[in-house]
Amino acid sequence: MSLPVHPILAAGGGPVIPNFGGASKCVVENHQFCMSWFLHNFNTVFGPRLVQHIVLTAIAVGVGMVIAFTAAIIAYKQNWFETPFSLLAAFLYGIPAIALFELLVQLTGINVFTAEIGLVSYTLLILFRNTLTGLRGVSDATIEAARAMGLSSRQRLIRVEIPIAVPAIMAGIRIAAVTTISLATVAAYIGAGGLGEPIFEAIQTGFKTEFIAAGALAIALAIVVDGLLVLLERLVTPWRRRTLQGA
Amino acid sequence: MVNRLISITEGDITIDGRSVRQLELTQLRRGIGYVFQQIGLFPHMTIESNIGSVPRLLGWSKSRIRERARELLELVGLDPEGDLRRYPGEFSGGQQQRIGVARAMAADPSIMLMDEPFGAIDPIARERLQNDFLRLHRQVRKTVIFVTHDIDEAIKMGDKIAIMRDGRLIQLATSDQLLASPADEFVASFVGEDRGLKRLRVRMLRDIELDPPSANATPAPQVRDTTSLHYALSRMLTEGVNRLDVIDEEQRHVGSARLQTIMDSIAPASAPKPGESHTAAA
Repeated sequence: MSLPVHPILAAGGGPVIPNFGGASKCVVENHQFCMSWFLHNFNTVFGPRLVQHIVLTAIAVGVGMVIAFTAAIIAYKQNWFETPFSLLAAFLYGIPAIALFELLVQLTGINVFTAEIGLVSYTLLILFRNTLTGLRGVSDATIEAARAMGLSSRQRLIRVEIPIAVPAIMAGIRIAAVTTISLATVAAYIGAGGLGEPIFEAIQTGFKTEFIAAGALAIALAIVVDGLLVLLERLVTPWRRRTLQGA
Repeated sequence: MVNRLISITEGDITIDGRSVRQLELTQLRRGIGYVFQQIGLFPHMTIESNIGSVPRLLGWSKSRIRERARELLELVGLDPEGDLRRYPGEFSGGQQQRIGVARAMAADPSIMLMDEPFGAIDPIARERLQNDFLRLHRQVRKTVIFVTHDIDEAIKMGDKIAIMRDGRLIQLATSDQLLASPADEFVASFVGEDRGLKRLRVRMLRDIELDPPSANATPAPQVRDTTSLHYALSRMLTEGVNRLDVIDEEQRHVGSARLQTIMDSIAPASAPKPGESHTAAA
């Protein structure tokens, strides 16, 4: 198993343009961005990587949410649990991405699974914090009313506390999704695929069009996903939009 | 403590002879309507769902819950059609507490606990809520335990008033008894130095000894027998008369109230007038 040399260094030399057969002048001279090349290669290079990237992100945020949500519920019920889990999540969050991936490769090898472990571990802190903050933000009056009505502790959680925490949870998911989309490009370093692959390739070859295209797609993906999550949040929390003077 | 939001350390509370300590907690609470100062509506639920909270727990059908929610909104003076699908955040504090009252009554509990329900509401809306609740209470007849720091509210709302001080019960009496003979200095100062005037508000003309109708008396302004002495006195003052003719529900002339009659009825219990049957007990 050999890891690539530091990719940034590899890009230092003169342009190493791959020979794409009848390459256009734009590609041969390595202009800033060659639209025709991009369009021509979208279906073979970028489309599949984009899909991979989306799947990579969705799995990471999904699994991260399941773990963080469970942990937040436990911490909400049992206060002592908050500190150890926070520390663990903060520790994972604090490790530089490349270092974490390198470390994980020693344990689980170069594959998508390893990449997912890394990506999930970066979502935990944000998702855990936001979920817990959302649950704790439920007003005492609301909880008192729920208790006085004879809702059991479980019913309170499911019918009152979790629904009211949804805006905070959604805010966490938005941050986690955007962060993961960005981080997932780095995960290509350990064979996760996705938009990071053309980026790393372009860094090594110095091919500007490929670099910019993949980078721009990642950014566009982040913006679109964030927007969709905002829409989703509005859809599931109709009660937040309609208030008297934002009460 | 009645619904065991606070646990009982000593003594007991019984409802229909059964100790609240023996009842199953959720069962107990579902049978008691609870209204409190902070209202505590569920912000993420529509008004219909808020009102339907307890009925849902009790397994009512959707259509029955909707029917009940409509009925209750009407009862508390909100729009039963338009407001059903709105959210609590769209309502003012006074309106929210109306919804709070509706929610507490949803499953028709026989007991309602109201812990300073109108305390955080501006005076004008509070007055309206009090009046509406009194009207409502006459319709639905429930046992209401109403906690307040405002003695005037207690006098207005309560049939019986329990005065608590430092966790001890000082006096349990009707508002009239309380005003006529406060148990001690504390209660006396609490009910206010104008308790003579306040008593006028809690007594109605039909509570006092009226002069029998007399055929040869000159006609006087007419008032209902359910009129408060306070209002009757005010009528006398504004109309410059010292006698009012009292009529009952069917417009029958049941007697006359003179200024002296009203004064006598409020006179200290230590010097009861003949016919004044009401002697307050501490």
